[in-house]
Amino acid sequence: MKMIRRAILALSAAAAVAGVLRLRGQGGVPPQTGGWRELSTRPR
Amino acid sequence: MARAVDPAPVTVRLAHTPDGTSANTPIVAVVGAGVTGSRVAGNLASLASIRVAVVDTREDIAETVARSIDGIAIDLDHAQVADVVVLALPAPHAALARRFITNGVAVVSMSDDVDDVEELLQLHELAVHHGVPLVVGAAMAPGLSGLLTRLLAGQLGTVDEIHIAMHGTAGPSCARQHHRALGGTSVGLHDGEWIRRPAGAGRELCWFPEPVNSYDCYRAEVPEPILLHRVFPAVTRMSARMSGTRRDRFTARLPMLSPPHREGGIGGIRVELRGALASGERETLVAGTSVRSGVAASAVAATMARWILGGATAAPTEGISSGVIVLGDERLPTADLLEQIRGCGVPLSEFTGVSRPAEP
Repeated sequence: MKMIRRAILALSAAAAVAGVLRLRGQGGVPPQTGGWRELSTRPR
Repeated sequence: MARAVDPAPVTVRLAHTPDGTSANTPIVAVVGAGVTGSRVAGNLASLASIRVAVVDTREDIAETVARSIDGIAIDLDHAQVADVVVLALPAPHAALARRFITNGVAVVSMSDDVDDVEELLQLHELAVHHGVPLVVGAAMAPGLSGLLTRLLAGQLGTVDEIHIAMHGTAGPSCARQHHRALGGTSVGLHDGEWIRRPAGAGRELCWFPEPVNSYDCYRAEVPEPILLHRVFPAVTRMSARMSGTRRDRFTARLPMLSPPHREGGIGGIRVELRGALASGERETLVAGTSVRSGVAASAVAATMARWILGGATAAPTEGISSGVIVLGDERLPTADLLEQIRGCGVPLSEFTGVSRPAEP
């Protein structure tokens, strides 16, 4: 019983930390757009 | 262009001149009629303003290629009468280039061997003395990569890093060079210091334009950093990588276990520049191409031969009409040359995404 309580406590703590990070963190979003396009040789 | 030539071979040549050309039509001799050389000859022969002669140690091959482009097959000694010689044979080129330069013939070398390129660069004074240009590294990489680098560099205020990756091979000789390159010692520039690392290490996943897409690339013994440093002396980091499989890397230091293909598949190059915009904002620019390596390499060599003859959109620029010329030199008409190369069937692409917002 004691072990189960510890496991639940550990999982809860981990979920809480993950939740905080999830809410507060900006996160890195992989590029969803873009790709290769024809190269322009005109000056920019 | 002053040239010391024996007039006798000219008579032979004129007897084979295609209709519509005159004795004043410039001659380009293509030395090496393999996958790349035959395409160089084909690209040049499509222009009515140039006569093409083909040289190869295999006379039947030279004859076949010459017939297909309405040119002529000649031997190496007769190539001295050409206005420009394109060296499209396996390295080394330095000794041949010296011989042609001494006879006042402009040279375009497609060599991608490090030692050979270093020797070619040492011919600068000789080329200046004889008043002829020597284009070094006029192929896909080096060559097209240098032009793309210069084009991208024009969009940055300062360039700090240049990283080149290449994939694929042209003909069997190119495949052998690829094999050697993964088993040699790579040259790179790190924080302004030259570094030498074993080739086949330093894996990096590189994305090329479609349909090549991604390949693991490794350091390789290629002359790219040496040539680019010559035209981008302020850049502090340079690297050149080449795609390879586990088998390529494992067997790189052994003789080739199986004969190379007659021609490789679709190859590609990827040029990545890191630096800062004029505003100081950091920026990464990426460009590249995916096409058969032989197509790209031959387009570059043919374009540079045309440029020497003044047949490209822009004639040789004042100040670099003689001596060693490296693609990427800011005095070259880079945009014009790239458009010429594109016109030879080489698609040029730039990457949008992380580094640059997509078109609105």
